[in-house]
Amino acid sequence: MPNDPKRPDLTMEELRARIAAAGITIPENRLAMVRKLLGEALAPLRSRDSRTIRPLEPAVTFDAAGPHVGTGQGGTGHGAGRE
Amino acid sequence: MSDAIAYATIRELGTRYRKRELSPVEVTRALLARIEKLDPALHAFVTLTPDRALADARAAEDALRRGDERPLLGIPVGHKDIYLTKGIRTTGGSALFADWVPDSDSTVGRRWQDAGTVLLGKLITHEFAFGLQFPGHRFQPARNPWNLEHIPGGSSSGSGAALTAGLLHGATGSDTGGSIRGPAAFCGITGLKPTYGRVSRAGVMTLSWTLDHTGPMARTVEDCAYLLQAIAGHDAADPASSTRPVDDYVGALDGSVRGLRIGVPRNYFFEDADTDNVRAFEDALGTLRKLGADVRDLQIPAFNLSRSFMLIMLSEAFAYHEQDLRLHPELYGEMLRERLLTGALVTGPEYVQAQRVRMQICADVAEVMKTVDVLATPTTPKTAPTFKTMYDPELAFPRTNMPPFNLTGQPTLALPCGLSASGLPLSLQLSGRAFEEATVLRLGHAYQRATDWHTRRPPV
Repeated sequence: MPNDPKRPDLTMEELRARIAAAGITIPENRLAMVRKLLGEALAPLRSRDSRTIRPLEPAVTFDAAGPHVGTGQGGTGHGAGRE
Repeated sequence: MSDAIAYATIRELGTRYRKRELSPVEVTRALLARIEKLDPALHAFVTLTPDRALADARAAEDALRRGDERPLLGIPVGHKDIYLTKGIRTTGGSALFADWVPDSDSTVGRRWQDAGTVLLGKLITHEFAFGLQFPGHRFQPARNPWNLEHIPGGSSSGSGAALTAGLLHGATGSDTGGSIRGPAAFCGITGLKPTYGRVSRAGVMTLSWTLDHTGPMARTVEDCAYLLQAIAGHDAADPASSTRPVDDYVGALDGSVRGLRIGVPRNYFFEDADTDNVRAFEDALGTLRKLGADVRDLQIPAFNLSRSFMLIMLSEAFAYHEQDLRLHPELYGEMLRERLLTGALVTGPEYVQAQRVRMQICADVAEVMKTVDVLATPTTPKTAPTFKTMYDPELAFPRTNMPPFNLTGQPTLALPCGLSASGLPLSLQLSGRAFEEATVLRLGHAYQRATDWHTRRPPV
């Protein structure tokens, strides 16, 4: 298996491609902030070989008994209250 | 109103109520007057509820006359304005909900109400617990009573400002990446992020399902213990709520901390830290050693991956707000809108990898917690920034020391441990094993009995 070298930082070109793919609009004067926010969050993932991350389950788990069970107010948040 | 009453502890107020030296109505009227005087400069409250407060206070007086011994009886509190309140406006600090009046209460609000508290009002929050209000926003952001040019921290900003200004005696906060502990640190008060699942989030606006925590904010550890006692415990309305039994937090406060093993992770938490923050932290460690704790340095390399927490938060926040963002983008505040939209740019695999990294952090920290009882770190590497700094259009999200413990879900306490050369509060962060709030509170209480940083007041 080939080595997985450190991937490059998030470039402005990659950011623009992601914005286009997501179908959203972000004003030009906010792109630097968004690039920094996303780039810093991605850095830990890009600094390591994803194959070396322990094969643990993701933290998000599915429980066949919930969350539709016992959510008297329709769960957390304001969504239920707005109906 | 004397400062002695404005800054009394919950236990002191209860004692004086029962000696008939003070009454809840008297205290409530005095606090409403203090709020009227001080809050125009602080903007801690977004909605005042004087009629409700006086009705609550009268009910508390009746109960006291009957010999009711509930410790929170007649204690004035406020709720962060993402906690739903039946019949009372709940804005989320957002123009989107500027006039929304829910028809139900949050579970936490209901439990404090059942405990006999007095609701003074709703406290401003950063917009949807994520975005500082910029100039021109529908709502004014709270200001830091220690220096009005500085932010009080976020997102439980009104809670922090009101407590340090002596406007109430307890407040709710929520903590997705530090929103209880940050305002506690910047305002010189005490805040507890309980274990994930310990306190219900039902009826609280969501920011990020797998990271959101709810908990109490107060001026002392002892007050936090009283406030937590009334809200901890299972709630079927929150799918993440734990069924584990609730400890006696108040009863556990006075136990010894001699021999308690405190680990100090020397990586990650000291990056870019200011000298004042590090000095105050090291002084706090010295105090804990004098109290008999066994303090030892260690390394937890997985913490260096903590910034990936933002991928989880952004993805989940966007999922929650997506429809409103598409339908009413103009109702979201400047900067917050773009922050939330950034969540749409995180790919599915990146979200999954971030959760896998999170599990690695959890596993590594759990191993360390077999050898120590508590982790100690500075809560923040720097003091409260100015509004001017925060309004920099290129500022993404300031680095802090708090998100690692949202990833692990451990109970984590922030408490004052000093003042900077510029007179701003500094804070110590103590994190325990899951569901061991009692240990963290006991250590924090011992620290506050040995120091007086929690009694320092801003020049309001």
